Amino acid sequence: MVEVKLHDVGEGMTEGEITEYLVKVGDQVKVDQPLVEVQTDKVSAELPSPVAGTVKEILAKVGDVVTVGTTVIILEKEGASVSKTKDHSSKEKEEPISFSMKIDKSQSKRQSGRILATPYTRRIALENSVDIEQVSGTGPAGRVTDEDVFRFMKEESTPATLKLSDKKSEQAPVDVAEKREEVSSPTSGEKTIPYRGRRKQIGKKMTHSLMTIPHVTHFDEVDVTNVMKLRDELKAEGIKPVSVAAFYIKALVFALKEYPVFNAVLNEEKEEIVLKSDYNIGLATDTEEGLIVPVVKGADRLSITAINDEMKRVMNLAKDNKLSKKELTGGTFTVSNVGPLGSTGATPIINHPEVALIAFHKTKKMPAVVNDEIVIRQMMNMSMSFDHRVADGATAVAFTSRFAELIENPTKMMLEMM
Amino acid sequence: MVVGELVQERDLIVIGGGPGGYSAAIRAAQLGLDVTLIEKDYLGGVCLNEGCIPSKVFTHSTSTLAETRKVSQFGIQTGEVSFNFTQMHAWRDQVVSGLRKGVESLCKAHKIDVIYGEASFLSDDRIGVECGHQFDTYRFKQVILATGSTYEAPIWAKPDHRCMLDKTSVFKLETVPEHLIVSGSDYVALEAAFGYRELGAAVTVIMETNSFGFDESIDKELFRVMKKQKMAVVKNARVISVENDGDRVLISYESTKGREEQAGSHVYVSSVSKPRIKNLGLERAGVQVNEEGYIDVNDRAETNVPSIYAVGDLTPGPALAIKALKQGKVAAENVGGKQATFDLHFIPKVAHTNPPVASVGLTEIEAKEQGYAVKVSEFAYGGNGFASITGNKDGKTKIVVDETNDVLLGFHAIGKGAVELISNGVTALEMAARDEDLSYPYYPHPSLNENWLEAVEGLSGKAIHAPPARQMAKSGK
Repeated sequence: MVEVKLHDVGEGMTEGEITEYLVKVGDQVKVDQPLVEVQTDKVSAELPSPVAGTVKEILAKVGDVVTVGTTVIILEKEGASVSKTKDHSSKEKEEPISFSMKIDKSQSKRQSGRILATPYTRRIALENSVDIEQVSGTGPAGRVTDEDVFRFMKEESTPATLKLSDKKSEQAPVDVAEKREEVSSPTSGEKTIPYRGRRKQIGKKMTHSLMTIPHVTHFDEVDVTNVMKLRDELKAEGIKPVSVAAFYIKALVFALKEYPVFNAVLNEEKEEIVLKSDYNIGLATDTEEGLIVPVVKGADRLSITAINDEMKRVMNLAKDNKLSKKELTGGTFTVSNVGPLGSTGATPIINHPEVALIAFHKTKKMPAVVNDEIVIRQMMNMSMSFDHRVADGATAVAFTSRFAELIENPTKMMLEMM
Repeated sequence: MVVGELVQERDLIVIGGGPGGYSAAIRAAQLGLDVTLIEKDYLGGVCLNEGCIPSKVFTHSTSTLAETRKVSQFGIQTGEVSFNFTQMHAWRDQVVSGLRKGVESLCKAHKIDVIYGEASFLSDDRIGVECGHQFDTYRFKQVILATGSTYEAPIWAKPDHRCMLDKTSVFKLETVPEHLIVSGSDYVALEAAFGYRELGAAVTVIMETNSFGFDESIDKELFRVMKKQKMAVVKNARVISVENDGDRVLISYESTKGREEQAGSHVYVSSVSKPRIKNLGLERAGVQVNEEGYIDVNDRAETNVPSIYAVGDLTPGPALAIKALKQGKVAAENVGGKQATFDLHFIPKVAHTNPPVASVGLTEIEAKEQGYAVKVSEFAYGGNGFASITGNKDGKTKIVVDETNDVLLGFHAIGKGAVELISNGVTALEMAARDEDLSYPYYPHPSLNENWLEAVEGLSGKAIHAPPARQMAKSGK
């Protein structure tokens, strides 16, 4: 027998709700075949089968909230004798399979409730809203160190699920409609919205980013008339429509290649800025549950059409709350395309640990001066927040100028194509 | 009574000007808040005006007297040493008023609006302050409650402050009692016993248990010193009644030997502290009070009402000024939008006896009860060079450690300088230090600080100034 337990799909997860069984008792399953779908605060995850065999028993019902470590399904391993169905006392080997659990909550505590951490470390935890009793210490005699607290914070925000929230959180400007889960309290006219799950995760990530990174936001405008014209021309030629955002992302990748400090991560401990070789562009996406940031990976290796398709795919997954860890991790730079919703400017919060984030605002027809004549052009404002520890204003201006140049003259982008 | 019509608007009102209240007010002012502090008597509260400070004037005077009696061995020639109560009381008044003026001027310097009067809640956002015929109403955004505690004498006791004394009167006698009976075992009881014994009174201590609540080894040394100083101690005895004819007292108590009596000239009665919540109108603000009358707070000093904080003796835990000082600052920081919490684990306990006692963390027995694998080490003052120089060889230090990971759990000291020495232990515990963290550093030499070094080295039988047999490192579950 093999017990399939709810394991920690993302660090920090402690419980999940069973939303759907993908198998039923008696089904033959293969290794890695999804068995059950679990919804946590942040994402839904599927638990894969650890072995090949037959589903023997389903222990938790749909809708049950189970904690990490709870057995959800019992499988009979392939090849095991089929005869004894109910014989629990038999010597049939029981192999509880539990995957690595990051939360060591079973750890017995001394009665005293003493916290092994220096007051300085305790303050770091306090100011970052970390319950230090949840942090396992790696320091002397199990002492919780500064690094343990930081690691805990990072783990909290990077687990599959959380990652989403992290990213979303960064996009301050797009504040998602507050419509979800309004509960009117019976005693007064006030309504309360639960501050937990993704909302709380967004809050944590935002706070962490803003407290860690010295933000600077640089504003600029870009004339997008030509790129819109180009898109319309392509459309007229019967080519599958491509959104302008795909052009922006391609142009951003070229600009990032020239100014790689914006496609980087600062590692303060090692005293180095790591310039990333991948160009994985996070897309701040508004969903019912709140902001989430799926990632278009390898944007430097994708054509504009491919970027367009991939953007659509991940954003649809986000809307349906079906993103997996794969689509939520690995971002190196984030784009918040709030233009379709409106807006002329913002001071976005960076998607920590990335270095920069750019928000694109509403495109509208504006009078512009071209060759000393006033003409009507399609203009768009941009707000780019960057980490002033890593880059300076001049670099940021150069970066957005280069981006604007590519967008204003899409043919120049040709020169950059492989 | 004139009832003010106007409601005055205040951001933060602190009720009570004792250590909890004034530290809250000053910290809030440091954070840029406009602060109103309401005090019904004197700034400084019980601590400064009736408790810690006046009692320490007494213990310092009597300990200095003891010290002075020994100075001839250092070559200092004095005439006959005598003690003048009037002068001691005058000195106390001078100290108290000086410190109180200090608090007043700090409040002034921080532009804290100090209002003298009695405050009570009218609702969850308004309080009234009564001062003589004046009654003013204030609307507040946030309140920190710091009204402290009163105390309650046992039912059999009716302090008349002549022959029967409580903690407000015990240090205010004008003459040496012929025979002082001390009923109780807390630090005030001990300080009274030691002080008046030094002044020449016969002293009998009647205590309900067989411990002062310190580590067993410290208690043992304390009993030894008391015996040496010829104090009588009756353990495990409960006082039943007192006869007080205004001149003599007769105490009846029940001990393991049955019912007994003790006559004396004075009796000091230990009292229990009770949160001062009467007339505060907490129910009108919706602040919950627990069964013992304390206001429960979380580690940010928040009560069940979001805009109301409580600090100090009003809250569960020991009724000590250091708790109030800490909680006052924590509450103020939370009011000011900062993050702050308190933790009551490592509050040092002290008694200004002669020699004094100080202790922090777990005693050996507590550590064992909590399931630690315990190792302890003791070092006697007799092995310390500086203790020999100054002629203070009574006392010992003791360290309790978790044998499995060498993390220090408790520090206990009795002996000259113990109160100052204990800070070493407090810091070590808060830093989650292990034995090597204390044995590695240098200690001033010669000094009493070296007692910790010797005690911590003794954990592994390596104390230099103690013979192997005396190194009491022992372990056990």
